[in-house]
Amino acid sequence: MNIPVYSTIHLDFDEGIGLLELNTPPSNTMTMEFFAEFASVLEFIRAHTEFRALIISGRGRHFSSGADVPVLLREILEKAGTDKNGKLTKVPDFLSSNYKSLLILESFNIPVISSIRGVCLGSALELALFSHFRLCGEDAVFSLPEASFNLVPGLGGIYKLCCISGQALALDRVLRGSTFTAEDAFKYRIVDKLVPKKILLSTATGFAREVMQDFRIEKKAMYVKKYLA
Amino acid sequence: MEIIDKISWEIRSDIGIITLDNPPENYLVQPEFVPLEVLKKWTSYDYLKGIIICGAGKHFSGGGKLENLFRMIRNKENISESMDKGKAVLDHLEELEIPVVAAIQGICFGGGLEVALASHIRVCSENALFAFPEINQGVIPGLGGTVRCFGKTGFPRAMKLIMSGDMINAEDAQEMNLVDFIVGKQKVFDFSFNLLQKLTRDRPLTVINAVMKALKNARSMSIEDAMREETRMFCELALAEASRRNSSREIKK
Repeated sequence: MNIPVYSTIHLDFDEGIGLLELNTPPSNTMTMEFFAEFASVLEFIRAHTEFRALIISGRGRHFSSGADVPVLLREILEKAGTDKNGKLTKVPDFLSSNYKSLLILESFNIPVISSIRGVCLGSALELALFSHFRLCGEDAVFSLPEASFNLVPGLGGIYKLCCISGQALALDRVLRGSTFTAEDAFKYRIVDKLVPKKILLSTATGFAREVMQDFRIEKKAMYVKKYLA
Repeated sequence: MEIIDKISWEIRSDIGIITLDNPPENYLVQPEFVPLEVLKKWTSYDYLKGIIICGAGKHFSGGGKLENLFRMIRNKENISESMDKGKAVLDHLEELEIPVVAAIQGICFGGGLEVALASHIRVCSENALFAFPEINQGVIPGLGGTVRCFGKTGFPRAMKLIMSGDMINAEDAQEMNLVDFIVGKQKVFDFSFNLLQKLTRDRPLTVINAVMKALKNARSMSIEDAMREETRMFCELALAEASRRNSSREIKK
């Protein structure tokens, strides 16, 4: 298997486990190009049955600071369909394919594990929420800050947070838009396990190796209890 | 302040306050505990950013008086129509596109608990008590309480609460996801008010409405449909924000 080279993502493969790293350090911003490449990485992984587990992580100290909002706004202004009053008539295709990528990721029949260090904000948290498991370092910082610049999470973040942490917590986190710690994320059931950051990736890899033997998402709670206790 | 059928309404800054005002237990006079048309009028002010439902005095609400209901049946009143009206009131509350907080102290039983369950956030005092006592009189919660309770707590816990009619305390209620926050005895209202203000103060109504709609979709739609809608709402807000930023840039020039 020849692993393609991407400019915003680093994809690696070792003993059945894929490592997908957001690779535009230091903040690993999710640019337009990233989302396009992310979709093709997912296609590549789906087409190669050698992948039996996938770990998603960020190069360097952070997972990712999320989307590049000014660029995103400019692109939407340019590409969205609008009527003569400026009202939205068609969502640009690139935005639809972004959320579809997350649905594809979630539908993988191999375990997908986000391994989160440093900041994990906005769309990056949405990406992590569509993984099957989330492990984070004690230094991780989370938020869905969109409301503080008059937007809302747009890639299913509200939906997922509501399912995982309940309506009240989702409402609270999304409207406040403020950051919260790894401990809070664990308390809200957003992350499955807090790990010292030095051993985060090795813990994620060890976990992947166990779960990939017999992965079924319905058994999530059992895996967490058995292999992450 | 307006008072109608033992329910009062007032607006403090941009938060609407519905008080179940039939002390001491704040029994609900009928299933449609506030006329739907009145509730619609109250909640239609476009500057409102949130709503609190609370009880006057020491308790939230003891729910409906079943004697009233049985009397209505004896008088051959149309009970199912009256229950439908009650359900419509709770559906209206739940579907509001601004957050509704139930500020619960003391007892929160039966219909009172159904009102609380239709709210988006439940805050309770440490001495709050919850129950669905209907089973003791041979009936079940009839205003959507069984469905909403199951949605929050899952099947086994909902079944236990509804089938036993037993009372549970604040801690147990939080444990089973029936309440979201527990606060000190006298602090329920202030906490709820401050919470709503913190959540909504700096947010335009368009953002608040979009978040509420997304949460409603999460309750009612498939994940694919809910995500398509979430992306569409994001896109609408992004368009507005992009135009706003553009025009403020032009003004600066």
